[in-house]
Amino acid sequence: MVVITLQRNKCIGCNYCVELAPNQFQMSKKDGKSVLLHAKDKKGFFTAKSNDDIIFDACDKASKACPVNIISVKNI
Amino acid sequence: MQQIELMAPAGNFESLQAALDNGADSVYFGVEQLNMRARASINFTLDDLPEISKRCKAKHVRTYLTLNTIIYDHDLSIVKTLVKKAKEADITAVIAMDQAVIACARELGLEVHISTQINITNIETVKFYAMFADTMVLSRELSLRQVKKITEAIEKEQIKGPSGKLVEIEVFGHGALCMAVSGKCYMSLHSQNSSANRGACKQNCRKKYTVIDQETGFEMELDNEYIMSPKDLCTIDILDQVAESGIKVLKIEGRGRAPEYVARVIKCYRNAIDSLENNTYDKEKVVSWMQELEKVYNRGFWNGYYLGQKLGEWSNGSGSHATQKKVYIGKGVHFYTKAKIGEFKIDAYDVSIGDTILVTGPTTGAKEMEVNEMLVNDEKLLTGSKGDTITIPLEFRIRPSDKLYKIVENKVEV
Ligand code: SF4
Repeated sequence: MVVITLQRNKCIGCNYCVELAPNQFQMSKKDGKSVLLHAKDKKGFFTAKSNDDIIFDACDKASKACPVNIISVKNI
Repeated sequence: MQQIELMAPAGNFESLQAALDNGADSVYFGVEQLNMRARASINFTLDDLPEISKRCKAKHVRTYLTLNTIIYDHDLSIVKTLVKKAKEADITAVIAMDQAVIACARELGLEVHISTQINITNIETVKFYAMFADTMVLSRELSLRQVKKITEAIEKEQIKGPSGKLVEIEVFGHGALCMAVSGKCYMSLHSQNSSANRGACKQNCRKKYTVIDQETGFEMELDNEYIMSPKDLCTIDILDQVAESGIKVLKIEGRGRAPEYVARVIKCYRNAIDSLENNTYDKEKVVSWMQELEKVYNRGFWNGYYLGQKLGEWSNGSGSHATQKKVYIGKGVHFYTKAKIGEFKIDAYDVSIGDTILVTGPTTGAKEMEVNEMLVNDEKLLTGSKGDTITIPLEFRIRPSDKLYKIVENKVEV
């Protein structure tokens, strides 16, 4: 299972995560920050889980590209 | 000569207060992600705007909101929200680089200042942006002679902004310079995928580099490995010439700097501008201001491109050359208003009679003073150490959230 976390309040809206993992991230038109799709919010930490291991690579790339290091991806 | 407006950076309430206490005429700050210091964790939030405005208004200090990154489609609505909230909080102006921000601010009736990233280097461009903005920062690469030509042309051709007043020219007066053309840089994006143009500069030009000829393997002999890291800009020693160039606003860099940095730099430049005004600006004062400025963060100083230098002077280190540093001592506990005595709890290190202390806090700002009298756990002692409670007569009020530091000499490694 892949677990992705986004610490949303620190997002600077640069859009890289969307370019690298468009199926998992989307830019919010409301506040210009990234949205992790199908995620649950726990005190500003948005977590999404998926059984689809294929998404790991894309999310890993997004996590490495994020300039403020607020995306974490784990394969458990 | 009209008095020059001194514009101070404010990264948080501590710096804001330090700017207000030390004589800034205006302050600039960012909120949320769309400013050149988006990475900094110390940015204000939207909800802070009314408080910033209130504090500054009480001192008749103008407020400028920086909204000067590149803007994507998904940012457009937050841009609108920011400008709207700024207008509601009665912020003086927004500093913009993207045409979308300029248009939005004009539409909502907020004054616009053109950010350095737009890179204005000639009078025709000034004329063009005069349709939208009252104040413009010129490109950092211009010499004072070139700046003067522009300000003279504004006067002669009566180039006016939307407010109906002549366009005012702003230049950088002090602080970090980088090798990018007026702040537009892709180095950080290329090497670390972190765009300076979205406020995420990783400052990799500040590091050591070696230059190697790929064909021969010949390594260039460099006296200084910091080949892309210019020294900091300082104009206090040429401020008379800067003023002569006809500029109206002198901007001090440093939204990421500590409050005591803002306090000291603003105080020096305030003195310098006032001295120019009353004809007491002289070499002796310049020497003492320079010594003051060297005490806080700097990479060494130079005059920028103002006097026509062709290349930058390079820094010879990655960090600061400041001659002083602060050491954390403890926290504020209580202030006895009538007796004007502050009580502190020491968490680390020690403090003695004769030491210079610094107290910082969101309302206190950055206040420095020498300890001449002190009680340690209600006894007259010369030194207080970890665990002790000390009381010191103060000329300013402290709060329980305040931090107490001691100022010590900083050994600069060059
Ligand atoms: S890469 Fe990071 S900072 Fe950029 S939009 Fe995505 S989450 Fe936000």
